[in-house]
Amino acid sequence: MGSRDGALAQGRLYPRGKLVETPPRSRRSVVRLVTLSRLSTALALASVFGACARTSNKNETVLTFSGSALGAEGTLVQKQLKRFMVLNPGIRVELQRTPDDASQRHQLYVQWLNARVGNPSILQLDVVWTPEFAAAGWVLPLSRYGPSSGEFFPATIEANTWAGKLYALPWFADVGLLYRRTDLISGEPRTLEEMVASARGAMSRRGGPRYGIVWQGARYEGLITGFVEYLGAFGGRIIDDKGEVVVNRPEAVRALEFMRDELYGSHVAPLDVLTWHEEEARFAFQNGNAAFMRNWPYPVAAMSDTAQSKVAGKFAVSPMPKSGTAPAGHSTAALGGAQLAINAYSEHPNAAYKLIAYLTAPEQMLERAQAVGQYPTRPALYDDPRLKTAIAIPLDDARRAIESATPRPVTPIYTELSEILQIELHRALVRQAEPRDALNSAAARINTLIDRTGMRKLMSQTSRGQ
Amino acid sequence: MKIRWQNWLFGGALVVLMMFTLFPFYWAIVASLTPEAALFREPSLWPTHIIFDHYRALFDERDFITPIRNSLIVAGTTTFFCLIVGTLAAYALARLEFRGKAAIMAFILAVTMFPQISIVSPLYLLLRALHLIDTYPGLIMPYMTFAMPLTVWVLTGSIRQIPKDLEEAAHVDGASRRQSFTKILLPLAVPSLATTGILTFIYCWNEFLFALSFTLGPERQTVPVAIALFRGQYQVPWGQILAAAVVATAPVAVMVLVFQRRIVQGLTAGAVKG
Amino acid sequence: MRRISRLRSEARLGWALVSPALGVIALIAIFPLGWTFWESLHLHELRMPWLGQPFVGLANYAEIAKDPRFWAALGHTVFFTVVSISLELLIGLFLALAMNRVFRGRGFVRAAVLVPWAIPTVVAALLWRFIFESQGGIANALLVEAGILNQPMVWFIETATAWVPVILADVWKTTPFVALLLLAGLQNIDLSLYEAAAVDGANAWWQLRHITLPLLKPAILVTLIFRTLDGFRVFDLIYVLTGGGPGTSTEPVALYTFNALLQNLRFGYGSALSVVIFAITFGLALLYVKGLGVRLGGDEA
Repeated sequence: MGSRDGALAQGRLYPRGKLVETPPRSRRSVVRLVTLSRLSTALALASVFGACARTSNKNETVLTFSGSALGAEGTLVQKQLKRFMVLNPGIRVELQRTPDDASQRHQLYVQWLNARVGNPSILQLDVVWTPEFAAAGWVLPLSRYGPSSGEFFPATIEANTWAGKLYALPWFADVGLLYRRTDLISGEPRTLEEMVASARGAMSRRGGPRYGIVWQGARYEGLITGFVEYLGAFGGRIIDDKGEVVVNRPEAVRALEFMRDELYGSHVAPLDVLTWHEEEARFAFQNGNAAFMRNWPYPVAAMSDTAQSKVAGKFAVSPMPKSGTAPAGHSTAALGGAQLAINAYSEHPNAAYKLIAYLTAPEQMLERAQAVGQYPTRPALYDDPRLKTAIAIPLDDARRAIESATPRPVTPIYTELSEILQIELHRALVRQAEPRDALNSAAARINTLIDRTGMRKLMSQTSRGQ
Repeated sequence: MKIRWQNWLFGGALVVLMMFTLFPFYWAIVASLTPEAALFREPSLWPTHIIFDHYRALFDERDFITPIRNSLIVAGTTTFFCLIVGTLAAYALARLEFRGKAAIMAFILAVTMFPQISIVSPLYLLLRALHLIDTYPGLIMPYMTFAMPLTVWVLTGSIRQIPKDLEEAAHVDGASRRQSFTKILLPLAVPSLATTGILTFIYCWNEFLFALSFTLGPERQTVPVAIALFRGQYQVPWGQILAAAVVATAPVAVMVLVFQRRIVQGLTAGAVKG
Repeated sequence: MRRISRLRSEARLGWALVSPALGVIALIAIFPLGWTFWESLHLHELRMPWLGQPFVGLANYAEIAKDPRFWAALGHTVFFTVVSISLELLIGLFLALAMNRVFRGRGFVRAAVLVPWAIPTVVAALLWRFIFESQGGIANALLVEAGILNQPMVWFIETATAWVPVILADVWKTTPFVALLLLAGLQNIDLSLYEAAAVDGANAWWQLRHITLPLLKPAILVTLIFRTLDGFRVFDLIYVLTGGGPGTSTEPVALYTFNALLQNLRFGYGSALSVVIFAITFGLALLYVKGLGVRLGGDEA
């Protein structure tokens, strides 16, 4: 007893019945903890009060621009914004970086717009978002500014029109293209069947590539863009002009069967494509392992770089061909790209429109093509000789591809519709279901969706695209 | 007398586990030193062609220092406050008698039972109303809320297992509650404090969804958000992303190395057996 | 008299000490939780504001009950959680015992063990996806070279094989967390108990079963609760690795909720899904507490 008291008094303790020392380190650290806590509380309080809003000069209109600002695009955008500010002295534009990954950007936009935040004043929309944002009341119709929509490619204007009104201006276009190896394939394939035959020929040659054709077949939006091209090649559509769901018609079934046959029949496409997004397909083609690739225009720059690409100077592009066995088929390219829209909660819509109009003006578009290689959405520019050096593929091929571009269904419920279709298509492609059953199921579920959301009437009036 | 085959078995299993644990990280380092085009060609265990471009790009093109600074501030502050507030609560829940303790523990836990994505939207609305968007407290407070349950539950469990007789003896000797807390209990709880401190720090360091949603610009964005911004719409710059991951793991690894001795008692107590 | 006033002052002190924690949590969490419950009782489709936000009672929940995709997602989540937790507890326990020992290089082991936990989830998922890529992936290369596979396998297009990288990645990433928690629990076990048992002739296995495991119950409880919560909320990992595919055969409930909320903009339905996830995890936590026999409100026996 007494010795224990004595030990306690001397700062020694009895954990677990043994006589041990309280480590001086532990005691010191406790004291440090308390002092630091007081300091940190002060710091935290200070930072709370420091978190006040940025003050702005009352005479200026401040716009926030949210768009792709990565690398060369970023430098270009900043240059163009600076020029705009010089031309419009009362307006200041700030660049707000948002992730380029589509679903992350979409998530942020939804969060901000749901909270009715006026910044960013200008939104960069993916091509399938415009009807959704328009229906939700998040972007302003542009009719009162009298935009010259006739100067853009009709397909791009269609994709941005909802309920008869234009809601965004097309900024640049992405189209699905067929890349081919010029050293393995003699000429542009005129039909899909010819493409498959050439692919098999190339593969069977000695020293030939491992794959015939590579595309993006993972269960995501890219799968729909690829499917839409085969669909058009066989004359099929997802939704027809009357707003009827026709994705389970015989043409569509044939298109899906053709895709499956590439995997399991002729074996020109490896099973791996069912897990691939754009980059994996690009690397397969870039490393010389494929005779054909379906992809967007962006790989051209990397693949022409002799330092990293094995196919530099050995490839060409063309639009995806139609099927030789379907009379109603036509060469189709999926339409992608970005559009610029005005935030409905922005305090300066007029200034915002000025900025959008400036960025989509011919000079800026040409500059963008030269700096980043993205395709302008104005047909007139394709007659301009300056564009020739900007775009790595012949202008005619580019124009043809955009003119054959078809938007995906233009409806606010597109993401849900696409998800249904993605799941069923992927099931059919991994052989969890037969094409006919998968597409029937997709059609049934899409119809249920349309009825549940009351879109039937709206779709028949304004239905466009595939 | 040592049973040698048991020790060999133990050592062998440990080595296998270490390889499993470190192999992907080793792979990340190799990949971050490889030119991107070579990554998808043929996989190899050894780097065939070493380049430092990815690391250089991190600090030249992309200013990776600012996100690291932000992450350090947010994670450090959160861990710090979480430990203090959590320890106080744990002491009350473990040592004091009052009604409602189970309800309190359940309430503290309830927050983490919702998927983060459902919480993001309303939390954004709340933080906006409090003018905390794009600020440090705007991240620190949500992080504290979500890290608190683990801290409180672990510390409560630990304190409960520390025998009460020491504090009682001190009380008999005239020590106040506060003294027995700081001089007796706290030093014994250091392993649990160090453990939850490390886990909280790492949680904040890697948290992505809140950081993405509640910050607007590079001045406040943390490391995971910065890495997410590397991606183009289609392009995934593997080399840079992996280089960033390697660089981002370094501070955490250093911190763990420094604190790893505190997560076990035993020798650090300077025991004098007898 | 004195006892009552002592109890009251103890209660006052107790509430005072928990109030900072409760305060922060209440400030941040009450509104979002309340909002989620509220939204789950309404129809709220952001894309169709003309529908308004009518009160629909339990209609969302009824829709969930009839939704086959939800039940499938729940099944996936349960499968994933059970398999992952089992593996993590086993390996984590081993690692915790290892880290508790004295041996050369233990500092390095303790630091190295934490590396997977220190890597951001998205990066870890990308890494594992990379490892299991069919063409460029090291997993196939090693398996083919070892003669286990004849040719590279495409892991992600069959449901059964798609789970392998997912579970491996989760076990890899989260075992450190489990190991640390169990290690912290090991610190609270009185060493003299082992010594007494050794003197009585008990071997290591007996000590493990009769001393370590029972006294580790509180730590195991905490680990189980938190790992189950995390397992039910798993999102980033599966999103990056399989996207929920092939088809929807690896889709967990959190990914389904993400789709509903932020892709399809159905806030009412998505909120109801969140409440259901909450209810399930809450129920599981209660089960664990009862099952492991640890009294939350009182002291250890």
